[in-house]
Amino acid sequence: MAGDTMTSDPDDVATQLRQLLADVTGRPELVDVPASTPLFGGGVGLDSLAGTLLLRQIQRRYGVDVAAEDLNLDSLQTLGTLTAFIVDRLGTG
Amino acid sequence: MTSDPVIKAVVWDIDNTLLNGVYLESPEQPPAADPVLAGVLMELAGRGILQALASRNPPEAADYVRSVTGARFAAAECGWESKAAAIGRIAAELDLPADAIAFVDDDMLERAEVAAALPDVLVLTPEDAAEAATWPQFSPAVVTAEARRRGELYAERRARQAAASAFGGGRDDFLRHVGTRIKISRARTADLPRLHELSVRTHQLNSAGEPVTEAELAGLVESAAYQVTTLRLADDFGDDGLVGAAIMTGNGAGEPVPFTAMVPLVMMSCRALGRGALDALLAWMCQAAAQAGATELAVPCLITDRNVPMRLALAAAGLRAEAGAVAPDGRAIFTRSLTGDLPALPEWASVEATPWQATP
Repeated sequence: MAGDTMTSDPDDVATQLRQLLADVTGRPELVDVPASTPLFGGGVGLDSLAGTLLLRQIQRRYGVDVAAEDLNLDSLQTLGTLTAFIVDRLGTG
Repeated sequence: MTSDPVIKAVVWDIDNTLLNGVYLESPEQPPAADPVLAGVLMELAGRGILQALASRNPPEAADYVRSVTGARFAAAECGWESKAAAIGRIAAELDLPADAIAFVDDDMLERAEVAAALPDVLVLTPEDAAEAATWPQFSPAVVTAEARRRGELYAERRARQAAASAFGGGRDDFLRHVGTRIKISRARTADLPRLHELSVRTHQLNSAGEPVTEAELAGLVESAAYQVTTLRLADDFGDDGLVGAAIMTGNGAGEPVPFTAMVPLVMMSCRALGRGALDALLAWMCQAAAQAGATELAVPCLITDRNVPMRLALAAAGLRAEAGAVAPDGRAIFTRSLTGDLPALPEWASVEATPWQATP
């Protein structure tokens, strides 16, 4: 994919993921969410619907199928773990 | 409730919606038109309602659909970007407000994306669309009581979507704001037809991926070894009734304490997606199993690309499978310890279920 949004720079990926998170949850304030805030539960409150939409956007943008590669979806613990997971796949891809 | 806006245009998906299959998968002989939906399309067109296409396909797909349905389309958007963007362009081209547009797609996530981006659009499954010709939104003149009720359900959903997109806070704040009510009860005989229907129709939020017959369900409800628990959902916009259920059992004869509580099936209607219902049911299961003396909860879950929402809910409730432990039958067993902190039930959930007794 040759789009100008493709990047494997961790800071850029984290910024893009924050925007996707804000979009799928409808909460613009999440563009500032810290990398260590849990995505499930109290912090961000990512649920089945928002989580599925997020994974779908990630697959579209980065070509990374998180659900197929991460049985337990542990990569969705925090924005930091998700960024690391995607950067790792982009680096080896 | 104010009268629902009349639909002036229907935007159809192509693959597995207007066509009985996927256009690009058989280029020599693309699939035939779905006869039911093609009939609905022609019926609605005959009432003066505009028809349009929005599809992730090359433009030839629209020509093909025209040729097999004989329909005339007022607009066709074929391409690779989002359906919401396509519908936005169709609305602009036809000069219609979003609340005059219905969108039909077999893919739950396409529907969810459009509903989130364009909350005023009436979003329908192909099954909904098959009967939509009788709803007041499509036929102000001819309306049966059942059709009115179904039409109201969609009006409720649309009102809820509009409220959600206008609401600033987090999900739990929104659920509280709209008066969400969850009732967890023990299944009764009268629930069996609906439970069977849910076992057939739920895919995204279904752990087992296999239908359960009414007779099988009746046996489970009567068995002392199993507990079948139902979840009902309502809010200020409307009452969705019985939307989910879980089946729990012990792990063998005698149930030495400590034991593992097994969950052969947990399922939830996609109507309840995004409304905290599955999270509440999983929280109740953890608490009920812990109270019965279980030290572990185990949910065998089929691993498919369709039920990722179920896996997300399991992960959010703290359940994990052994890495790479997908059995030959396509399932992995997700477990969590029931000692220490358990997931909390939201304060809008009420529990009528009798305490679970793992052994007779």
